[in-house]
Amino acid sequence: MRSLIRHITRKSRGGFAVREQTAESEALVAGRGNDCAIHLPDPRVLLHHAELVLRGGDLYVNALPNADVRINGNLITGGRFALGDILQIGPYEIKREEVGSEVRSDDAAPASYDCVLAVEMVQPLGDDLIDLVERSRIHITRIGLPLRTWCWIFALAVALLLFAAPFALNLFYQAVDVHGLTALHKQPPASPTRIWTSGAISSSHKFFGVACETCHQIPFIPVRDGACLNCHDGIQQHAMGSRFPYAAFTGTSCADCHKEHRGEISITLNDQAFCISCHRTLVEKTGHTELRDASDFGTDHPQFRPTVVTDTALHLMDRSRAIGDVPPPTENNGLIFPHARHLRSAGVRDPVRGIVNLQCEDCHTPTADGFSMKTPTFEKNCHGCHQLKFDALVPDRELMHGNVQDVFKQVRDIYDAVAMRGGYSEPTAPDLVRRRPGTTLTEPQKQIVARWAATKSEAVINGRFGKGLCSDCHVLTESGGPANSAKPDPADTLPWDVKPVEMSPRYLPKAEFTHAKHRDVACSTCHSSKNSMSASDVLIPGVAVCQSCHGGEKSNDRVPSTCITCHRFHRSDLRAMHPSGTNAAETGRWDNHEEAIHKEQEEQAR
Amino acid sequence: MHESILVYGKLRYLKVALALAALSAVAYVLHTPLGPPNGATWLGYTLGGISGGLMVWLAWFGIKKRTYGAGRLSAQEWLSAHVYLGTALAFVATLHAGFRFGANIHTVLYVLMMIVIISGMVGVYFYLRYPRLLTENRRGLSSEVMLAQLADLDREIRQLAMGLDDATNTLALNAIRDTIVGGSLANQLRGFDPHCPTTVARMFVERSSFESTSEQDAKRRQLLMRLVRKEEMLKRIRRDVQLRCVLRVWLYVHVPFSIAALMALVAHVVTEFYYW
Repeated sequence: MRSLIRHITRKSRGGFAVREQTAESEALVAGRGNDCAIHLPDPRVLLHHAELVLRGGDLYVNALPNADVRINGNLITGGRFALGDILQIGPYEIKREEVGSEVRSDDAAPASYDCVLAVEMVQPLGDDLIDLVERSRIHITRIGLPLRTWCWIFALAVALLLFAAPFALNLFYQAVDVHGLTALHKQPPASPTRIWTSGAISSSHKFFGVACETCHQIPFIPVRDGACLNCHDGIQQHAMGSRFPYAAFTGTSCADCHKEHRGEISITLNDQAFCISCHRTLVEKTGHTELRDASDFGTDHPQFRPTVVTDTALHLMDRSRAIGDVPPPTENNGLIFPHARHLRSAGVRDPVRGIVNLQCEDCHTPTADGFSMKTPTFEKNCHGCHQLKFDALVPDRELMHGNVQDVFKQVRDIYDAVAMRGGYSEPTAPDLVRRRPGTTLTEPQKQIVARWAATKSEAVINGRFGKGLCSDCHVLTESGGPANSAKPDPADTLPWDVKPVEMSPRYLPKAEFTHAKHRDVACSTCHSSKNSMSASDVLIPGVAVCQSCHGGEKSNDRVPSTCITCHRFHRSDLRAMHPSGTNAAETGRWDNHEEAIHKEQEEQAR
Repeated sequence: MHESILVYGKLRYLKVALALAALSAVAYVLHTPLGPPNGATWLGYTLGGISGGLMVWLAWFGIKKRTYGAGRLSAQEWLSAHVYLGTALAFVATLHAGFRFGANIHTVLYVLMMIVIISGMVGVYFYLRYPRLLTENRRGLSSEVMLAQLADLDREIRQLAMGLDDATNTLALNAIRDTIVGGSLANQLRGFDPHCPTTVARMFVERSSFESTSEQDAKRRQLLMRLVRKEEMLKRIRRDVQLRCVLRVWLYVHVPFSIAALMALVAHVVTEFYYW
């Protein structure tokens, strides 16, 4: 198909200009694209808008996909393009003209065109488009503020609210002496910078936790010990630094172990791993410790070695033997007390109540803090059954419980009085003593009854109801009277004495066992006292009994228990970790302080 | 061949991100600090350093994408790494925090960072889904062309309505003058106008009678045809505006919040050591 395309441009003054173009191809494509034979450079036209083909001498138009093509105002997808028809493609009108009507400048060439098309732009982009574009906001960038402005706003808001404002306000914040305020029962004012907190304060520090500067005294410097020692001045050491230098924690600050801002949990470091980093191989590490190694309470904890009294007179203690050792640890406390006899199922005879079945709690009552048990006393726990009456003829008098020498004097006084008064009806007694009470005696008679009183009282004291009564419960010493007798007269002293009684105040002083926490457990669960026939038996349970309920830190089937469940890091029997008000790690006074303690202890041992 | 950023380089950056996350998780599980896990242990500082570095590097993408094609990595490679490592950041930063949150600026940073990451994920979803819908909707036309065609229809409507009764003419004129494409953010996102004057005019003309075969009715039919066509065109343009708006709107969350998060990161680091 050979075509002539005439582009007509109307001029404002009237008249028009024509640009002609020849095309030779199977089909003519009209569109915005440069490759189109009928090039229609306008945004409203598709790249390839319509196709014109010659078929059997007739020209046909096919609308290409999505194209809006009209012939004489009617929307078409395809159709015949007859002479005189107007084909509308976007703003263009294309008229088909008769072949031969063309004006040619070059007459030499033959006019042999298949079709002649006049193309004219009739609807230039007008005001409607401008108006539409103006009132339509079709892009997000035309709404509100530009992205960059939003970025600035957000950045400045964060910087101001989170950082600059608290920082600036903090310049006017006056740090206060919390220790002083505590004494006044006042809370310190809250710091403006408290939104910088890395987590909630632990419960015991909450009351001053709103004042950051209480602990964070110097910016960019980690919390120093001085802040802690303001209140915790007397906190004790873990071990004697001179003997165990690696346990001195020199250069370790309080905050290294006690991490704050962890919320409602204790800031005490209770990790087993921390303790066993030393205690797993302590024996090998130190070479001179009496402690045994331990790494987990459930699986690797040494047997308990109770501290027992070995000599009550010399106050000697021993903790060399463990529960279950052969021979077992025994306590030489000066008492004769068979638990089994008191707890037998048949009961014991009480002079007032008759036969009673004693229970543990009849004698053992907890201390006020519930921590341990009160030491049973004769007056409270024994006297009900063990009355110290010594003479059926003097039924209203009992032996005094306490110092034997005083008891001897007491008994002597009683018989002196009895002898002087008379009426003592014992058949073997002299007549003067048995006489009718109230009769006066002559001086020689008085000497006779006094001699009887001395003999009688000595016989009582050394007999069944004296020495015998004591030895029911006490170990007696036969070695020539008490050393500390205040009596200058040897005749007034006894050849025997009651061995001093001393019970171990705590069998396991390095651990803290709280009876209160175990009050719902029957005593016999841990203490096998029903079979104990001797007061020297140590009735605290072995570690296996504890392990039946308590496991190590990571135990799944037992109460998870770490080292500090029972043991304390800061040992109350040692001196302050940091000498008053100073940081030992900073001052280097640590070792001097330790040395002093060690020397002191050595001197005491000597 | 077009390759999605998600599968770029045989999932190279997915593997990098997974390796980073797995490494962090293993370290977190194996690490047994004294006390509960927190950001102030050696692992906490390490994870924090990685997280902070990642945040700065991810934000660097905002600058990098402007110098398209410069540097060793292609823009596509950058974006693939940006997406995967950004997702890994959420994981690493959570481990750095040790799952501890509170009413403080550190948690503010975490929240800002998570907003950025989640908005980024939304952005990835949009970018994978909407360009295809956009192309399908346009059917080869640019938005300028569609608007120009709309203007042409308006002109034709004006000419046709001029010869018709006053009521029709007024409504047709309203359809020309008052029809708005886009508008506020809500309107752009909605994708249609419930009170479109063109629809009003079309319904009015539709309801009028076409009994006679007068010249008036012929014009009326022509007007109806153009109004229907305009409605179709409006639907497409509004959908186009909607899709283009959605493709950009997440950036209005992603970018300002990422700048805010960077600022909060600086505040986090400074204050953490200010009150050491």
